[in-house]
Amino acid sequence: MLVEVKNLDISYTDTPEPLVKNVSLSLDKGEVLTIVGESGSGKTTVIRAILGVLSGTGYISNGSIHFAGQDLTHLSNQEWLKLRGKNISMIFQDCGNMLNPVQTIGHQYIEYIQTHADKSKEEAKAMALEVLTRMNLPDPENIMNSYIFELSGGMRQRVGIAMAITFHPQLLLADEPTSALDVTTQAQIVKELSNIVKQSGTAMIMVTHNIGVAAYMSDKIMVMSQGQVRDYGPAEQVINHPTDDYTRHLLSSVPELGGERYV
Amino acid sequence: MSDAEIIMSIQGVTKKFPMGDGRFLTACDDITLNVRKGEFVAIVGESGCGKTTLMKSVMNIQAPTSGKIFYRGQDITQLTGEAKRQNCRNIQMVFQNPSAAFNPKLKVKEIICEPLLNFNLVKKSEMAVKAGELLEMVDLPREFAERYPNNMSGGQRQRVAIARALALEPEIIVCDEATSALDVSVQDTIIKLLCRLQKEKGVTFMFICHDLALVSLFAHRVTVMYLGNIMEKLDGDKLQEAVHPYTQALLRSVFPVHGDKRAVQCLEGNIPNPADMPTGCPFQTRCTYCQDKCRSEKPVLQQVGDNHYAACHFPRQAQG
Repeated sequence: MLVEVKNLDISYTDTPEPLVKNVSLSLDKGEVLTIVGESGSGKTTVIRAILGVLSGTGYISNGSIHFAGQDLTHLSNQEWLKLRGKNISMIFQDCGNMLNPVQTIGHQYIEYIQTHADKSKEEAKAMALEVLTRMNLPDPENIMNSYIFELSGGMRQRVGIAMAITFHPQLLLADEPTSALDVTTQAQIVKELSNIVKQSGTAMIMVTHNIGVAAYMSDKIMVMSQGQVRDYGPAEQVINHPTDDYTRHLLSSVPELGGERYV
Repeated sequence: MSDAEIIMSIQGVTKKFPMGDGRFLTACDDITLNVRKGEFVAIVGESGCGKTTLMKSVMNIQAPTSGKIFYRGQDITQLTGEAKRQNCRNIQMVFQNPSAAFNPKLKVKEIICEPLLNFNLVKKSEMAVKAGELLEMVDLPREFAERYPNNMSGGQRQRVAIARALALEPEIIVCDEATSALDVSVQDTIIKLLCRLQKEKGVTFMFICHDLALVSLFAHRVTVMYLGNIMEKLDGDKLQEAVHPYTQALLRSVFPVHGDKRAVQCLEGNIPNPADMPTGCPFQTRCTYCQDKCRSEKPVLQQVGDNHYAACHFPRQAQG
């Protein structure tokens, strides 16, 4: 198993009760796990815990996270730096917020590559251009010289995905990677993302509230509500034979073409 | 439903924004649309297609460059002063982001009753009672009148926004992506609430959205826009019979929870710069069926069926 999370509790120092309770999951190489749930259900908290970047006073109060045989709950900052951005990387909801608006994309991209690999500026640039081309971005040279706010939402997201996959990470974490996009752009990005994952054998944990996207991409689905796991299993089984009432309710709320009309 | 009275008629509305370099960006190009009483009219399209610009004209926030908008026989774009203010009683709006739509320092009862106070329809002493009635109408407990909007969840706030829009008993409520910021289950309850209000009060809704799957559940009429142009107008229950390649592409972009995953297809190509539109069909750069005629001649809306119009030289029957 590449990732193994066991009985994970996450608490904040100012609240006595853990906000996320008893989450267990496991993921093999090349598998895609999607965590779905409403806002406030703790789905983002779980993947932030895996990356070791819990916000504010959050901490892991119980349980363990193992990644490639290593226990992530007791890593020092130095050890995290080696892991983050190279073996585990993250795609954010709006990659426009992730980059510095007063530096060109190329400047930050090259800096990122040079931080993790012993490469000259030219080599790093060539590497960046190659990945941007792979993400179907038109005129990558031009993109390297642009600022993030000059790009459309879909292009920003492609840049964010390109940066995340640069070092062929073993684990990709994605926090609502398509929620801010139009339906047509969403379809493109989701397809590209699932191709990349298939081709490179990367494991991915994706957080989304779009259950259609979850059904399309995932091998496994986890349904969360109020910090607890309501349903967890192979995608097929969760979608077609949900065991929990909450999952059933969630599935019935998804608008579908040709569904029952309200008027 | 199609024989109901037309209460709003948008005729040839065009809105151009100056770009600073002497050129103009056409956000809405010759939009013509009729709205019948008690209907759900959905306007669908990607970001930048001009749907919000059109709504701003309908709300009389922004005058169109040319064209007329008739509400019950009166051209509302020509209204000024008190007449323009009085017109606000007939058309109200629900915004996309419920957390940005309220003054955070006002209590819910003050938020809901503000439109009523503006028109002297309620006394300050009666505010709490009136707010309670409106809150009950949107399935919220009366006690919420004393709360502040930041103490509420997104779905509850959107209900407050709907209560505020209902306060003046308008004939038309415009919803600009009113459910896009909400979770699916909350979205579902809000849509059911709107449907109930439409049935009980006969309110007409103009609903801006980019999710065709959602729209297919409740819209009577659907208008599909692309880069400021209407691509297709059809009945909401006949969405699957869409003939325009763009509408079909939108339908195929929806990820089904059940059903065939391979049916999802992507649009290729890039959206042209709206300031520098190609001649001919606006959709030509992304259309799989594009031919020479599409590059030279701009298609106009033509009737292709009962209550069904499409702007395409080569309308196709939906496949499968």
